Amino acid sequence: MSRLLRFWAIIGLAGSFVGLCAAQDFHVPESAVAGEQASISTTGSSKGIFYLVGPGVSRRRDITLGEEVQLAPQDLRNAGDYLAIVCSGTCRSENFYVSASKPANLTFLVHPSRVPVAQGDAVSGVAFPFDQYHNLVLTTQNVSFQLTAKDALLWSRSVRTQNGVAWFRTTSGKSAGPVQVTASLDDLKTRRAVQQVASDPCNLRITGQRTSKGIIVRTEPVHDCAGNVVPDGTIVTFTATGTDGLGTVDAPIKQGVARAQIEAPGPTTISVASGVVMGNEIRVGAQP
Amino acid sequence: MIRAERGELPNHFVIAAISLCVLLFCPVLNLHAADTGVQVQLDAKNAGPRAVENLTERGIVRDYRFAWTSMAQALQSNTLDPLAGAFSGDAMQWLRQTVASQQESGLTRRYLYQSHQLDVVFYAPEGDVMELHDTARYRLQIRDGNTTIHDEPVVVHYVVLMTPGADRWVIRQLQAVPQF
Repeated sequence: MSRLLRFWAIIGLAGSFVGLCAAQDFHVPESAVAGEQASISTTGSSKGIFYLVGPGVSRRRDITLGEEVQLAPQDLRNAGDYLAIVCSGTCRSENFYVSASKPANLTFLVHPSRVPVAQGDAVSGVAFPFDQYHNLVLTTQNVSFQLTAKDALLWSRSVRTQNGVAWFRTTSGKSAGPVQVTASLDDLKTRRAVQQVASDPCNLRITGQRTSKGIIVRTEPVHDCAGNVVPDGTIVTFTATGTDGLGTVDAPIKQGVARAQIEAPGPTTISVASGVVMGNEIRVGAQP
Repeated sequence: MIRAERGELPNHFVIAAISLCVLLFCPVLNLHAADTGVQVQLDAKNAGPRAVENLTERGIVRDYRFAWTSMAQALQSNTLDPLAGAFSGDAMQWLRQTVASQQESGLTRRYLYQSHQLDVVFYAPEGDVMELHDTARYRLQIRDGNTTIHDEPVVVHYVVLMTPGADRWVIRQLQAVPQF
């Protein structure tokens, strides 16, 4: 019994020892770049199986130990963690990383697409540099952001990427109209458009006169505080207070002016508002 | 003499048992190792320029866990079905490539005993994209058919880009890096 156990003990230990010694030696690349060829050197002379396991790739091929294993560029397109496994009796593995190539695309997100003028921190943009294989470039890059309107530079800033992202936030311009927002990195440029529109009306004023059909009220041309014409369709609310009580009429701005007709035979006070902005107040006498 | 022989017996027995276990039984046990569920923890205190709301934090944890569960299932069974809804864009693209490549080579991979420590490093001003760093710990098993050719606990650092979809956050980029 003792001899039998001793025999198995020796077999077991020898097996473990042989297993360890049979492990094949090979060397993975210290650094590899996405889409570039790389090689793995092996030692030995027997036949073996080589596996490459990584993001987007899972390869298996027969090899002769002692020869270099070539890794094709298309097998290393995705940046990330790769595992090289060599099996010849036993299996050994080594991991290595593939890093992103140089920037080839600039993903650029800009918000909002439509913004009132002169709003603080109203426009923001985020840029991510990617290489030609869509890997996020994590090495520091300088991204330039620009806001231009009619070829005039409104604002610019250079930002270094941190963790593969660069971003900005700024105040919208003073004039209504399209603004081009550009992110550039070396020769790469990505453009987005933001439509700047007039802000809330400013100095909202109305005039009115009684006619046979009632009181006709109209605003003066509606502008924001920077002088931009408030866009057509903006709602203006007229409120009439008279002997018959309170009444309101909503009217959209058309060609810069809002108009309304109010039926009120008695003396009437009319006020105007648009959004949170109040305008002047007028008094119209009773119908003769 | 008899005592000496009796004293040697347990030592031989232990050595033999351990050696045989190493050679024979451990790989078999590994084949039957089961995943105990994906654990995800999120730290959003360094998020910026936008702060992460509590509801968003919960959504990220839920959807990231779902994504890794889906990915593990897809790469274990070599099917794309589990990936639907959890990934998008480039991440979905390389996962498709991975499944196709595994189907061709006959390999499968298993991500067992996963735990993920997520740190939000960037949350866009308008909340339309988030970058996270994931320190992932799991046991990675690679199989060629029914033979396990690699089985190792690993710590992998991932840079993750997530964007909000219609009803969940989806992973658009999942890129391992040597370190943060």
